[in-house]
Amino acid sequence: MSFKGKRLISLLLTSMLMVGLLAACGSGSSGNKETASNGNSDGAKAGEQVTVEFWTISLQPTFNDYFDKLIADYEAQNPNVKIDWKDYPYDAVLNKLMTNIAGGDAPDVVNLNTELANQMGTKDALVDFNQELTADQKAAYFPGIYSSTEMNGKGFALPWYTGLPVLFMNKDLVEKAGLDPENPPKTKQELNEWGRQIKEKTGAYGYIFTMEARTLLEENLPFLTEDYKKAAFNTPEVEEYVNENLQLLKDGVIPKDIINYDKQVQYFASEQVAMSLSSSPFINKIKTAAPDVYEKMLAVPSPVGKAGIRYSNTMNIVVPSATSHKKEAVDFAVFVTNAANQLEFSKIANTLPSTVESAKDPFFSENDGTLEGVAKTVSAVSLDKAEDFYIGVESAKDVNQTVTKALQEIYLNGADVKKTLTTAESDVNKILGN
Amino acid sequence: MKKTPFFSRFGKSEASVAWLFMTPGLILLALFVFWPIIYSVPLALTNYSVIGKTEFVGFDNFVKALQDKSFITSLVNSLLYVIVVPFIQIFSILMAILVNSNVKGIKIFRTAYYIPVVTSMVAVALIWGWLLNQNGVINYVLSSVGLMQEKITWLSNKDTALWTLMFITMWKGLGYYMMIYLAGLQSIPKDLVEAAMIDGANRAQTIRKITIPLLKPYVFFCTLISLMAAIRVFDEVFILTMGGPGDATLTSSLYIYQQGFQQFNFGYSSALGLIVSVMIAALSIVIFRFNRKGGVNPY
Repeated sequence: MSFKGKRLISLLLTSMLMVGLLAACGSGSSGNKETASNGNSDGAKAGEQVTVEFWTISLQPTFNDYFDKLIADYEAQNPNVKIDWKDYPYDAVLNKLMTNIAGGDAPDVVNLNTELANQMGTKDALVDFNQELTADQKAAYFPGIYSSTEMNGKGFALPWYTGLPVLFMNKDLVEKAGLDPENPPKTKQELNEWGRQIKEKTGAYGYIFTMEARTLLEENLPFLTEDYKKAAFNTPEVEEYVNENLQLLKDGVIPKDIINYDKQVQYFASEQVAMSLSSSPFINKIKTAAPDVYEKMLAVPSPVGKAGIRYSNTMNIVVPSATSHKKEAVDFAVFVTNAANQLEFSKIANTLPSTVESAKDPFFSENDGTLEGVAKTVSAVSLDKAEDFYIGVESAKDVNQTVTKALQEIYLNGADVKKTLTTAESDVNKILGN
Repeated sequence: MKKTPFFSRFGKSEASVAWLFMTPGLILLALFVFWPIIYSVPLALTNYSVIGKTEFVGFDNFVKALQDKSFITSLVNSLLYVIVVPFIQIFSILMAILVNSNVKGIKIFRTAYYIPVVTSMVAVALIWGWLLNQNGVINYVLSSVGLMQEKITWLSNKDTALWTLMFITMWKGLGYYMMIYLAGLQSIPKDLVEAAMIDGANRAQTIRKITIPLLKPYVFFCTLISLMAAIRVFDEVFILTMGGPGDATLTSSLYIYQQGFQQFNFGYSSALGLIVSVMIAALSIVIFRFNRKGGVNPY
């Protein structure tokens, strides 16, 4: 290549680098300007036609009929608003949302789970519903679930459909162990005793245990200090609890494995485990994977730890602050999550509602005796006390991951309990800014 | 020869045809590879997170990286993954020599060995996940022949998880490198081997003195490619262990992904990406230094 050619290419590369530098440093200010101007706008002027982009997670095509009707009803009541419904798979929704926000093309109403909603909310990327909703509108939702996405006085999301854990049992294995399925375990302690007996008599694992940070909170063990400024889990009580679990692992009561959802299905479907804590969609998974095991399945209320909490898994509706139609978006979000629409959705999707009125419907207290029906009624019992697992700090995900990794180190890698908890404590303190 | 200016050469020589063919590819590369790489340099100096305010933070991200225990662990794991490289090369050369013979039906073997390469990593990972289950086929076989007392959870045990993933990577990649070596073997002129045989060389001597030296450019290419792939390993880790148990299989690519696309710390993840890129470049230079000669046409 000639000298001139080389010079030209170097010039091109340098200018690209400069443009990159300028663009990166400038992107913050331009993005903020846009957010600010959008944030100030109260939506379209009266009578002006607006299109509200509505994103859901993995609901098409199963629930097309429900949403077509919902959208048609809303559009009939609000002739100036057109709803543009799009659906994305769970794994893609966040990346797509980030890309659209970065590209200045944010959707107006989005379906997110509690963790993602909080993650975005703490970065000021979501509209504050505490500002937008009246006291009556807010009171429509179960307070525990609504507050799962509240921080520093801001409400990041409107709760939508939810799920609560149910204990699924393999009737054959439980009876083979000489236990009475009519009188299931009510506490974690009883669950452990059942597990031991099942292991002894049948050889199968007792139950599946997720080695996550939330297990500490379920047992009412200290986690963070009250002001959320420091880690509080490095105590003899936590050590004792961890040691109890180590003994259960050693005795084969719980499998020594990292259990994600798919593995949970595998273990239960292949009858390697007798009991599993999960929510209603688990039934369908087992029905597909092992129809004969499905026939032996029983659903009972999930046993609780010392805290008496059953964590819900809620899907929420959020409005990104970059929306151009805040008023219409908030209005539509309230419409989607109102009691009547939630009730109707729960009936077709076999989920639980997060609104107080819809939960009073006999649909949630009566069942037809099928496994699906029983699972629904036993899970709906504790709706009023439900809350999603969430540590109320901005860096919740990092804190959660650090503690979960430390617990995995102890349970699976045989790390020293005291030493690992001390390291995790200092790591969490660092994350929390100490 | 008279020098012609850079652009005026277009249309006057064969080069113009070459440029014509290369341009679409170059445009795509520039847009989707070179531009993001260049853009990550300024990004690494900011706290860019798509949402929220972006500020210039200087070299803070790089300083943070050097103090980040998880990142250091991920780098160590990625470097450990390089152990795969010599094994994959040796086994694929041996396989190439085997399938280079004129045995009847050899094409079936070539195809069979190549199947893992064209199989989706997701499918491969799921199948291996099943096989390696605590009550899976592998544990069953090993314990029934008496090689194992206690069943191992291959992917949930910190002592075995990384090695198991490395084995899966090797299993999947062997066919690809075998094909390249096979092409290399078939490019070696037969007369060289025949001449050596006439001069009294035996089979082992021809392999050592002729085949291996002439394969050197292929070894160089394959080593470089597999080294880069080993350091950047992502798919199998993402699907099978997500970096666990603890941080036992956390590799640098997975950590960079987690920081960028799960935690939205794009500034920080760009800085991590640059550090890993510099490391890969340094290792590649080392390989270049050691592999300059060899081949039918030494270069």
